Amino acid sequence: MAQDQTITRHFFRPGTGDDGLRPPCEVACPIHTDAQRYIQLVAAGRYADALEVIRDTNALPQSIGRICAHPCEDACRRGQVDEPIAICNIKREASDGAKAEGRGYDPPRPQFGDRKVAIIGSGPSGLAAAHDLALMGIRPVVYERQPEAGGFLRTGILNYRLPKDILDEDIAYITGMGVEIRTGVAIGEDVGFDELAAEHDAVLIAVGLSESRSLPVAGVDNRGVLLAVPFLEAVNAGREVPELGKEIIVIGGGNVAIDVARSARRVSGGDVTMVCLEADHEMPAHDWEVRDAVAEGVKIVCSQGPNAIVGDGQVEGLEMKRCESVFDEQGRFAPTFCETELSTLPGDTVIISIGQMSDMSFLGGSGPELDGRGILVFDREQCATTRRGVFASGEVVTGPGAAVSAMASGKRAAIAIGKFLGVDVDFPAEPRAVNELPGYVAGMINKGARRSVPARPEDERVRDFGEVELGLGEVDGRCEASRCLLCAAGARYSETRCISCLTCVRVCPYAAPEADGNGLLKIDPDKCQACGICFTQCPAKAIDLAVLSEDDIRAAVDAALEGSGEVEFGCWYPQTRVAAEAGAVMLPCTARLSLGLVLYAFEAGAGRVHVAVCSEDDNGRFVTGHRQTRAVVEEGRRALQEIGLDPEALVLTLVKEKKCLKPQQ
Amino acid sequence: MITAERKPFEQIRAVTDQFGKVLVVGCNTCVAVCLTGGEKEAEVLASQLRIARGQDGIAGSVETVTVLRQCENEYLDAISEQVKAADLVLSTACSIGPQGIAERFPGVRVAPAMNTNMMAVVKGHHHWAEYCVACGDCGIFNTGGICPIARCAKTLINGPCGGSQGGRCEISPDVECVWQLIHDQLVSLGLEENLRKISGPKKWSSANTGGPRSMKKEGFKP
Repeated sequence: MAQDQTITRHFFRPGTGDDGLRPPCEVACPIHTDAQRYIQLVAAGRYADALEVIRDTNALPQSIGRICAHPCEDACRRGQVDEPIAICNIKREASDGAKAEGRGYDPPRPQFGDRKVAIIGSGPSGLAAAHDLALMGIRPVVYERQPEAGGFLRTGILNYRLPKDILDEDIAYITGMGVEIRTGVAIGEDVGFDELAAEHDAVLIAVGLSESRSLPVAGVDNRGVLLAVPFLEAVNAGREVPELGKEIIVIGGGNVAIDVARSARRVSGGDVTMVCLEADHEMPAHDWEVRDAVAEGVKIVCSQGPNAIVGDGQVEGLEMKRCESVFDEQGRFAPTFCETELSTLPGDTVIISIGQMSDMSFLGGSGPELDGRGILVFDREQCATTRRGVFASGEVVTGPGAAVSAMASGKRAAIAIGKFLGVDVDFPAEPRAVNELPGYVAGMINKGARRSVPARPEDERVRDFGEVELGLGEVDGRCEASRCLLCAAGARYSETRCISCLTCVRVCPYAAPEADGNGLLKIDPDKCQACGICFTQCPAKAIDLAVLSEDDIRAAVDAALEGSGEVEFGCWYPQTRVAAEAGAVMLPCTARLSLGLVLYAFEAGAGRVHVAVCSEDDNGRFVTGHRQTRAVVEEGRRALQEIGLDPEALVLTLVKEKKCLKPQQ
Repeated sequence: MITAERKPFEQIRAVTDQFGKVLVVGCNTCVAVCLTGGEKEAEVLASQLRIARGQDGIAGSVETVTVLRQCENEYLDAISEQVKAADLVLSTACSIGPQGIAERFPGVRVAPAMNTNMMAVVKGHHHWAEYCVACGDCGIFNTGGICPIARCAKTLINGPCGGSQGGRCEISPDVECVWQLIHDQLVSLGLEENLRKISGPKKWSSANTGGPRSMKKEGFKP
């Protein structure tokens, strides 16, 4: 089958209008990855191109494609229609697909100048900073006290969520760029901080939160009381944890506590119960993490706080008191308890997973200043500490959060360091997103079920540390990507070309264009769905679309005709071709097709032009799109007849099999 | 606005085939608004001509350029070089456009690609209807704001005739009887008595039938 030539990286420029508005997914992403673009490329099956887009901002694409907290999905406007696009899974699909093609894994080799930067810590923040500094031509040297790089991604996140070989591949890409990672080197022990600072032009502290917080309760010194971080480190390193029994209580309700519970379940094969202060709807762990843990047999006891660890030398249980409220009126953490409402949960092991803190002892006395609580004094704008040339990023300064947020902090620090070292870079402006879909517009968008990621069966997966999620795979991955609404990628209008004819106002199904009394037009980007009908109808060529401009489509026609004497104007949503042998020009909807474009294909040498269309009662993505397509084909046939060509050379084919708009099989 | 429709393609071919370098000139006002002769339509026509001429081995070129209004010399002057370089200028404006070009550029061969059809109101997307014939003596105050001169098949000024059936004109079920409309409008305005008054003969000398018209305004002369 001739491959779809339309959506290469170069043919696709969503959201580049004068308004500067971007899709909400991209704005919500802490590192502002151009999710819409890579989603469209995945929909087109162009995985290596998609991965390249991801790599523009993301130094750890494979890892983040598995473990991201995906704030993009919370912002996704498809959530107003049915469910958000599975953006994180699509990111994984891009890297899996590119890998299967054997493309996208050769790192660039930037030339380094004389300057070098020491980065302390090889977690997501340090690696992101190293990657970006390398691209600026500054030599990064990463110091990692653990025997292997990756920081909390390696020591804190378990193989069942992020397989080590995947993390290794992400890191290998970064070292392939010339980034040096010195593992097993503890700053403050093997190398003094001052010595490090003297040997480098700048230092970035990205040590994360490496120490578990403990609890000031009776019985905490009993055998069988463990802390989350050392426990996860041991499990991750494959070391035995002899203190681990068969009745395990995990204190905490965050994402780390979930990982502790799920790994304890796997290592011990015993009962695991999480105890947390919060009511179930308040738990800080992500819903899907909680769901996975429960599916694996982890029990959760909510609204209970630890009163004492029961046992005389060996843990026998946890005495709990009922937690009445967790937050005060200002929303600050200030739990209140009913001191008389006590209960005891029997158990032989307690793992405390209530939060983490940094260990800044490696600075000695000579480093940058710490405040009274031992936290780095930090200029958030400039990512600077109080010592000149020493910067900081990641959870050590931002507090606990998602890996991608730590990366965002590292990327900002890289720019700060670049500026400090005289590189011509600056902090990017914060992007602005389109607003929510107006309700009536959301109601006009056809629903299409979100593809869920297949996972190994619960009873099988709790017996090992093999990866739980299996990836969407090609069909579901591309179909899922096809659900994208192309926010902010719609109509762009030229005030100087507009003749105020009001045609767009009359034809838009979503009432996006509005004209004032002087005929001055505005196309509301919140409403526009990028169907293209206004583009085809505008008589003055005043409207084009950000997603595939008219010139882009013409170029795609030329490309399609390089390998075939026929062109298919196809619709990329059903993921179904109507003319397999024709060169493909895939469009968000064939309503994009103007008579001029049809004639252009014939003028460019097409002997036959195929156009895909939906049926009246099964109209695809856009409510009136199929009518526009049919009309243009009729017009086109008349135009062909007039010029003595066979009108049947313009073939309209009904798309029967719409994989993407059907529920998952 | 003025509306115009494209001539049958074979008529356009019959003229253009005699020429090598053809310049299709679009007009981005009335005929663009009625979606027949603006920039996009001019390009479609040019594309059709190129394909057809290519098939028949006719040498030369077909290019396009569009001005905001062909009825104003200042806009035409902006395309003077392209016009003078062409063997034939094919205008997609109403008939005023090609005349304007012919007058502005003596010696240039000009052909109309369109037939001017009416002064119209926009009834909806892709739908226009004639509301005025420029009689030069507007009397719609007496007919409820509806013009029987433009919209009655017989141009009756004292209607309706016996051919009004069920609100439709006898010439076609697609045509509304304008006198039915006038009647209904006057009733709704409480002015049905107007229908009993006989209008005297209309002054036709101000219409096109009174000879060619021009308009001049008093006031500042630059």
